[in-house]
Amino acid sequence: MAIVDPIYEGLASGWKHLDGALYQGSDKPQSLEADVVIIGTGAGGGVAAEILTQAGLSVIMVEKGPLRSSRDFDMEERTAYPNLYQQAAAMKTADKAIGIFQGRAVGGSTTVNWTTSIRTPADTLAYWQSEFAVKGLSADELEPWFEQMESRLNISQWAFEPNRNNGMLRRGCEQLGWDYTVIKRNVLGCWNTGYCGMGCPVNAKQSMLVTTIPAALSAGATLLSRFEATQIEHHADKVFGIWVQARDQNLAPRPEKLMLKARHYILAGGAIHTPVLMMRSGLTDPMQLLGKRTFLHPTVLSGAVFDEAINGHSGAPQSIYSDQFVWRDGAAGELGYKLEVPPIHPVLIASKTLGFGKSHAELMANFNQLQVVIALVRDGFHPESQGGSVSLDGKGFKLDYPLTAPFWRAARAAFASMAELQFAAGARRVLPISEGVGYLNSWQEAKAAIADMSLAPLKTVVASAHVMGGCPMGEDTTKAMVDSFGQSHYLENLSVMDGSVFPTSLGANPQLSIYGMVAKNATALAGRLAPQSKPPETAPETDPVADGVPETAA
Amino acid sequence: MNRRKFLLTALGGTAALALGVSLYQPQLDVEDDGDKPHRILFSLLMPVLLEGALPEMAVPREAAVNRTLDAIEATISVLPTSQRDELEQLLDLLENRLGLLLLTGNMTPLLLRSPAELASQLESWRQSGLALLNQAYLGLRELVLASFYSCPEHWTLLNYAKPELPGIKS
Ligand SMILES: Cc1cc2nc3c(=O)[nH]c(=O)nc-3n(C[C@H](O)[C@H](O)[C@H](O)COP(=O)(O)OP(=O)(O)OC[C@H]3O[C@@H](n4cnc5c(N)ncnc54)[C@H](O)[C@@H]3O)c2cc1C
Repeated sequence: MAIVDPIYEGLASGWKHLDGALYQGSDKPQSLEADVVIIGTGAGGGVAAEILTQAGLSVIMVEKGPLRSSRDFDMEERTAYPNLYQQAAAMKTADKAIGIFQGRAVGGSTTVNWTTSIRTPADTLAYWQSEFAVKGLSADELEPWFEQMESRLNISQWAFEPNRNNGMLRRGCEQLGWDYTVIKRNVLGCWNTGYCGMGCPVNAKQSMLVTTIPAALSAGATLLSRFEATQIEHHADKVFGIWVQARDQNLAPRPEKLMLKARHYILAGGAIHTPVLMMRSGLTDPMQLLGKRTFLHPTVLSGAVFDEAINGHSGAPQSIYSDQFVWRDGAAGELGYKLEVPPIHPVLIASKTLGFGKSHAELMANFNQLQVVIALVRDGFHPESQGGSVSLDGKGFKLDYPLTAPFWRAARAAFASMAELQFAAGARRVLPISEGVGYLNSWQEAKAAIADMSLAPLKTVVASAHVMGGCPMGEDTTKAMVDSFGQSHYLENLSVMDGSVFPTSLGANPQLSIYGMVAKNATALAGRLAPQSKPPETAPETDPVADGVPETAA
Repeated sequence: MNRRKFLLTALGGTAALALGVSLYQPQLDVEDDGDKPHRILFSLLMPVLLEGALPEMAVPREAAVNRTLDAIEATISVLPTSQRDELEQLLDLLENRLGLLLLTGNMTPLLLRSPAELASQLESWRQSGLALLNQAYLGLRELVLASFYSCPEHWTLLNYAKPELPGIKS
């Protein structure tokens, strides 16, 4: 059965797409115009593009990564990481203590994410309301938006048997009487292969790449791929345009630039990159909030060797989670942690484990008996958990993320919970992924060893696939850059619609929170912009129309 | 100023000291291997980092080493500039030190230095309390292990293979 590639077919049908690697500029920089320009095509950008296009507005989407589709997804890490991830999946905090996964291709992180779809926890929403003056985002107010996106993206509870990696998480919870939930996933006709993280080869994952972005393009929107937004031109309370720079096949900057002009601009480059673009452009930030309070759900890992085969590479990567420990001590109390499992593929496991030589080779030889649990720590609520801070650094940026005492307390508790769970599920040996502990042979032994183990940056493996915050929302301008609709407090025609607006982390995987909130905010924006909308036929053609030197701030 | 000298100077005190390189060491030319930089260095480290994973038999071992050297090059080539520069600095420093020892004849030529000695060097960086040494260890470890396991040729060890899906490129 041949797999239909909606991107390939759409391009053949005449979608307006401009590839920065192929773009031929002229002497004078040219400009493109639309009602709305959206920077970034991930969870936030994709949803906004579809909603605004459907409201009859002309839309230009900009993505610094390439346009790749199922025919490029060969289920190999060596292809996927450089093609689809920020910094070839080797992004790290400044001190190198935390490895960060973030997508960078059309569809953003949704092209490579693991499809777990969870509504924003009620505790998180309540905390935002009381601590950050966020309004209109109660669980009740969000419910219709979550319903809308769950139906749009075919989000439903995974109806098949979990793979054994997840199955052991469930078994451990059952044995111990711990809470667990069968995960809802955004998939349609999933083949249960386990390669979500390398781009879905069969287009079952309802990522932005195969849902909202094709819908927007089919309705006349324009997509610029391999174009990076580099500068927001602004004056007083208005944005005048955004410069985008073409990138070549290797994503190195090319000299070609375009000026994008619109009635309204939406930043959706994701946490880290949206604040970086705003800082680089010198946007008003009197309280110095940009890039601060960047959250990661910093995650620790526990391996377990089972006698039976686990084959953690095969099957839906995430289908069970446990919230037993997320809210145990209240939102602002000790940092809670969510228990999940990751997909198990060779590069991921080889690099996120410990040691080298014989000991590592032995671990890898047990590859198919290996079960891995991860604990995602809920950062940003406790007073000593302020997250990381992004700052400009010459041409690029850096993210400093101090791992503070409350994080290490949570990590220690998490290592214990994971070991207890893995032994309860029948593990023969458990290996906390932190230097100096080694294999543990019983829960008894593990309990003592973990209470005593030393935990430290660069000794304990810490990873993140959930980047959030850095451009907080809320009605209190001393704490927020944008209001509860994502509208800038300082620039009247600028909104932020991505994970960077979260004032804390979520305590749940982020994608559905972004989908729901952006659906709400983009619908409100469409209501503001659409009545005066120009007729769609004035939407820009793929060939940019030269209109002289772009207007800049006076 | 040649690139290697520049990098050494630019790195300044901390990095050089932490890596055990005296700032006053004379600059020495290390064989550069033309378009295949750092291959000697990696072919020294690889048997150590991949002990137990590389085949024992000469012919398949050589194939695996060469395959991994190519994969390392490919991995480095896709890193963003800032990370690549950092890594190059580390590799340059290592080569400089290896070159020095090799050429001054203070020790057994490094090319013949025992894997056990290299292993204990890596192990001491791994255990060190200095972030810079930990970073050097982790950087080399991740680069070599990830590159080795990124090659389908090396997956038989793991009994891992990607599924064959009808109509999908393999
Ligand atoms: C491996 C992995 C697994 C995950 N698994 C899950 C999961 O199972 N469930 C879940 O809920 N979440 C998961 N996540 C997280 C989730 O996918 C993200 O939180 C979500 O996609 C973030 O949405 P966003 O709109 O903020 O940014 P993104 O989706 O990251 O999109 C931002 C896009 O903007 C582009 N961009 C940035 N700056 C610029 C610029 N200046 N110019 C042009 N383009 C720019 C980026 O290249 C990127 O493509 C996972 C993430 C990863 C990486």
